[in-house]
Amino acid sequence: MKTDRRKEHKFILRLSIIACLLFLTGCWGKREVEDLAPLLGIGFDQGEKPGTFLVTEQFARPKKDSSSGAEIEDRTFSVEASSSREAFEKFSKVAYRTPFMGSLKVIIIGEDFAKSGDFNNVLDFAQRYAEFRRSMYIVLAKGKALDLLNLKLRSGLLPAMAIKSNIEGGDEISVFPTVRLGHYLTILGEKSTAPIFPVVESVKTGEGVEYKTDVKDEAGEIRIQGAGVMRGDYLADFLTDEESKGYMWLENDVVHRLINTVDLEENSIKFGGQVIESSTKYKVKANNDKMELQYKIKTSIAIDEIMGLKKQLSGPEWVELVKQAEKDFAKVIEKECNSSIKKERELGLDFLGIGRHIEQKNSKYWKTIRDQWEAEIADFPISLEVLVTIHHSGMSSSSATNSGGEGQE
Amino acid sequence: MERISSHQFVVLSSAVLMGTTFLPIASIVTEVASRDGWMSVMPGFAVGIPYSLMVLSLLEQHPQKNLLQISEILLGKWISKITGVLYIFITCYFGGLLLGQAGDIYQSSIMPLTPIGMFYLGGILLVFYLVKSGIEVFSRFSEILFPLIIIALVLNMGLSISRMEQGELLPILSEGIKPVIWGGLKVAPFAMEYILFLAGILVFLPTGKRELAQLKRGVWRGVFLVGFLNMMVVLTQILIFGPEETVRIVYGLLVLGKMVEISRTVAGVESVFLGAWLGALIIKVGAFFFTVTWGLETVFNLKGLKWNLGVGVVFMGIAFKFTRGPDLVMEIGLVDNYLILPFASVWILTLWGISRWKGAGIS
Amino acid sequence: MGSWMKMIKELTIRPKGKRQIRKSPAYSFDEDLKKPLSGQTVKEILSKSSDVVFREFFLQGKDRIPCMLVAVDGLVDKNLLDEFILKPLMVDFAGHPELAQMTLSNVIDKTMESLLPGIEIKKISKMGDAIDTILSGDSVIFFGNLTEAIVIGARGWAHRGVAEPITESIVKGPREGFSETLRINTSLLRRKIKHPSLRIISLKLGDMTNTDLVVTYIEKIASPDIVSEVFKRLSKIKMDAMLGNGYIEEMIEDNPYSPFPQISFTERPDVLAGKLLEGKVGIIVDGTPIVLVVPAILTQFLNVNEDYYQRAMVAILSRFVRYVGAFVAIVAPSVYIAVTTFHQEIIPTDLFMSISAGRQGVPFPALLEAFTMTVVLEILQEAGLRLPKPIGQTIGIVGALIIGDAAVTAGLVSPLMVIIIGLTAVASYAIPTFDLSLAVRLIRFPLMILAGVLGFFGVTVGLYVILIHLLGLRSFGVPYTSPIAPLRIRALLQDTFVRAPWWALKRRPQLMDVEDPRPNGKG
Repeated sequence: MKTDRRKEHKFILRLSIIACLLFLTGCWGKREVEDLAPLLGIGFDQGEKPGTFLVTEQFARPKKDSSSGAEIEDRTFSVEASSSREAFEKFSKVAYRTPFMGSLKVIIIGEDFAKSGDFNNVLDFAQRYAEFRRSMYIVLAKGKALDLLNLKLRSGLLPAMAIKSNIEGGDEISVFPTVRLGHYLTILGEKSTAPIFPVVESVKTGEGVEYKTDVKDEAGEIRIQGAGVMRGDYLADFLTDEESKGYMWLENDVVHRLINTVDLEENSIKFGGQVIESSTKYKVKANNDKMELQYKIKTSIAIDEIMGLKKQLSGPEWVELVKQAEKDFAKVIEKECNSSIKKERELGLDFLGIGRHIEQKNSKYWKTIRDQWEAEIADFPISLEVLVTIHHSGMSSSSATNSGGEGQE
Repeated sequence: MERISSHQFVVLSSAVLMGTTFLPIASIVTEVASRDGWMSVMPGFAVGIPYSLMVLSLLEQHPQKNLLQISEILLGKWISKITGVLYIFITCYFGGLLLGQAGDIYQSSIMPLTPIGMFYLGGILLVFYLVKSGIEVFSRFSEILFPLIIIALVLNMGLSISRMEQGELLPILSEGIKPVIWGGLKVAPFAMEYILFLAGILVFLPTGKRELAQLKRGVWRGVFLVGFLNMMVVLTQILIFGPEETVRIVYGLLVLGKMVEISRTVAGVESVFLGAWLGALIIKVGAFFFTVTWGLETVFNLKGLKWNLGVGVVFMGIAFKFTRGPDLVMEIGLVDNYLILPFASVWILTLWGISRWKGAGIS
Repeated sequence: MGSWMKMIKELTIRPKGKRQIRKSPAYSFDEDLKKPLSGQTVKEILSKSSDVVFREFFLQGKDRIPCMLVAVDGLVDKNLLDEFILKPLMVDFAGHPELAQMTLSNVIDKTMESLLPGIEIKKISKMGDAIDTILSGDSVIFFGNLTEAIVIGARGWAHRGVAEPITESIVKGPREGFSETLRINTSLLRRKIKHPSLRIISLKLGDMTNTDLVVTYIEKIASPDIVSEVFKRLSKIKMDAMLGNGYIEEMIEDNPYSPFPQISFTERPDVLAGKLLEGKVGIIVDGTPIVLVVPAILTQFLNVNEDYYQRAMVAILSRFVRYVGAFVAIVAPSVYIAVTTFHQEIIPTDLFMSISAGRQGVPFPALLEAFTMTVVLEILQEAGLRLPKPIGQTIGIVGALIIGDAAVTAGLVSPLMVIIIGLTAVASYAIPTFDLSLAVRLIRFPLMILAGVLGFFGVTVGLYVILIHLLGLRSFGVPYTSPIAPLRIRALLQDTFVRAPWWALKRRPQLMDVEDPRPNGKG
């Protein structure tokens, strides 16, 4: 019986040790979901003091809605700090909740900061700390990131969420590059390629779009247009809308595009259409004694809109017109690409990743020019071949026209 | 005596060979061979095949004996004792380091605030339970978990396809073949870790003629399967991160797990994947735990619960010694390259050579 | 869990090897039983029971032979006795030439040869047999002071008819179920398997209750190792009372400390027949409609007989649903806890917002919230279980609708928690076997605590511990997780997660063959 009793004691002892382990010291790293402040967007601007930056953080504050679901309130702070961790410390003093980084959607870099700050240091926190994901987006802001994050949008969305949805819908129009943190880091690893970011700007009424605002002179919408090219840690220049469109073609990033030939002067009939699919191929070939990079863009477009058509066309004429459209679209695409290539040469920055393409296709040759690549960019021969096929022209063939004579003159 | 079937052996072998190699492998091979790192995975693992076949042929000549007992027959008492001590030391040390890795992985990637000791404790508890339940249960455990691990791996890779960058693999072999071979050498220790386990598990293997042929075929299959999966892992990581980033990220697959997105709703399911990785780690640590207990039993005739507990404590102790993540990764690399690789290759080559020589002498 | 098991084992202190818990007290009639058989002694032993009838009469042969018929009132068919035993002996054959030659010395043989009709008649000569047969419902005729007697099987008592089983309801398939009477049950089984290799072997267990039970299996299909193991374990049982199948279950199962059922049950002859054809062994106990089937493997607790009556595709779908249900029932609350307190990054942002909003003002941490709600769920289930049906439904409505809704409105729990608990409850009803769903309910709690303390790491560790436990279990020498591990590819593909169509089953799916059965079956 004695041994039994001792065993019993032993058992109780072990049980209580386990209980202690589980309950008394327990719950490390435990955070209740309602105590967390989900971080949606973070912005970096130039600080007043040298070596500091202005961190703006946009937290969502979920609020219980009496009727249904959750209402999200905005809690945005800005703080000047010399490291991200310091910034978070300062927030935590104000906010009564623990910041939660797992929900971060966008990092916004202010224009000034991009031009002067070394923002790889800033991004290091985002790629190192376990809560962040590499799938978050990075954008540049025209103006200050602070202003952008503090906008009151007419849609009621928080600016960070609005930017995120804008980017995710970007495939539909393919006019600006999509850059996730992971992608940026990969590009950095390529060394020869200059990173590029989409640019977000606030749109006041009248700046391209008209709308009614509650408060005058305050922007209620944002838009992503154009891109910024980095030289090392610093922002070198912005790309215009056309240049970034060219970039999209050359980078094989076009998924769907809305495209028109209105700006072409040669032809009086204008076309508008949607790119159904597109692919860009690269070829490095010897041209005389120098190597040349050839872009081959193959795209298929559906015509949605024809303008300037004066009369009903017969079958053969219609076929001709479609061929004409193919040529026109090709011209537009070429123009966009050329403007982008021109920019590349001007800047002397390989944001198109031409060096990388050469390396992929002909690594021997690349090794010979690698060291003086920056100098080479300006006159490295590039050729362009655009092949457009018109898939269909919508529901009708010819457009509705007035019968000749009656309505005109 | 417990026995495991040849099918179980194949699964168990593959699971042990695989272990958690898929976590650090990309970083290791890419560091040496850059973009071409994925090519050195298969050759690296293939090194395991001749060695396993050597071990199995030794088993054929000395059925029902583990490699330590065989070396006692072939090398004499004292040399084999020394080998045995070395064997125990290496496997024990490495097992402890792997246990430490469990803590490191969890703490650095999803639960930074939980004390690292809890992860060690959970891990060693599972390992201990497995060891206590015996080799049969252990092999069944791997029979269930190994497919799960493969599914998790494939899912993890498949779901990150959308993050792939264009043409990251190109150009192929721009630096020549040499880095690939060096990369293969870096992978070879993984195969050797498995050989150490194989040396101990011999006792439990069936020794019929037909089964032996199955075992040999099984080794081929296991090595190729694991090599292929690891190659895919490296390939995916190079394609997604690019070579530079792949080298830089300590556990690339975990980062990949964080990037996984399923139709823009469920994102970052790495904590679920980690469950499978934990299983893989448990199998590997368990394998080494078994190896240590077999070694102790053969060399010093020490067995039973008391000694198992002792081994557990030693494992914990080693793990606690390397709570610093970078130290741990460094140490694992060192042990792999400078202890396991030379020890296993020299030991087995010697044994095999002597056995051949003796066999030739007799006939 | 291993060390847990061990601790509990140490606590309950049971000498290893012996399955004996209660020693039977010395049988007070032992002395009597040693006496030679005679009507008088039997009367002495049994006369204190009012239900035992002693009908004394005389047989007029050469001698006048005093006879006594002993039977238990209520267990015998009185009409049968009157018509075919007493009437022939006393009336019909009076003056019959056979009868005229009868003396005390040849009365038994003569009576059996020519006077008594009926097929169930035999001779006994032991006191113990006499008492047993009388108490089991047979009638015994004693002649004078002879030490032999005739047993007449004329049992007939009130019993429940063959009805549809309540526990295993079915949409498409046979409706008959076992009842409490052993003979009816064996006849139901025999009607399913009309083959000479079906073995039905009788045993008696329980020193006081003398319960009949039958071990049944199919020779050539059932592994002889398993059959002998069953007999070995049954023979080790020493109990006073054997009032139901549960007694046997606990005495013969491999690991009494496991929450998982290691013996399966059925109330249906068709299920039993099917399992026998798979090579299992059935144990039918008199007095209970529930038949034990051994060995049991885990996946079979998730399969039901309806799978075999439905079309294969439908069966596969419903099996899949059941497996998913079982998994959800185990992990749903713990995943909720782990996700909301440790791994918020896994939640999509929109859902994050609504969970966060839903939990605003909830006073409890998620662990406590989930724990309380699960306990409430258990209480509701337990309350509804044994109540009369109409009230049981009310409980369900009160519990689910009123308490749940009120708790959310009062801000005690978050709406999502109620959903999770509801999901868990529904999912656990998808588990067809009650025993397994009990096990699932049991392991849910430790998993929740682990989730609350260590997040997914804890849940994973918990699940792995359960897995290792399952892998180590054996039921009569058969690994519990077979055919998944150890892998039996044919069984796995034909009748585990999927049910192959009948035409695809060319050979009997080998769900198990015995791997070295051990006395205690521990791996």
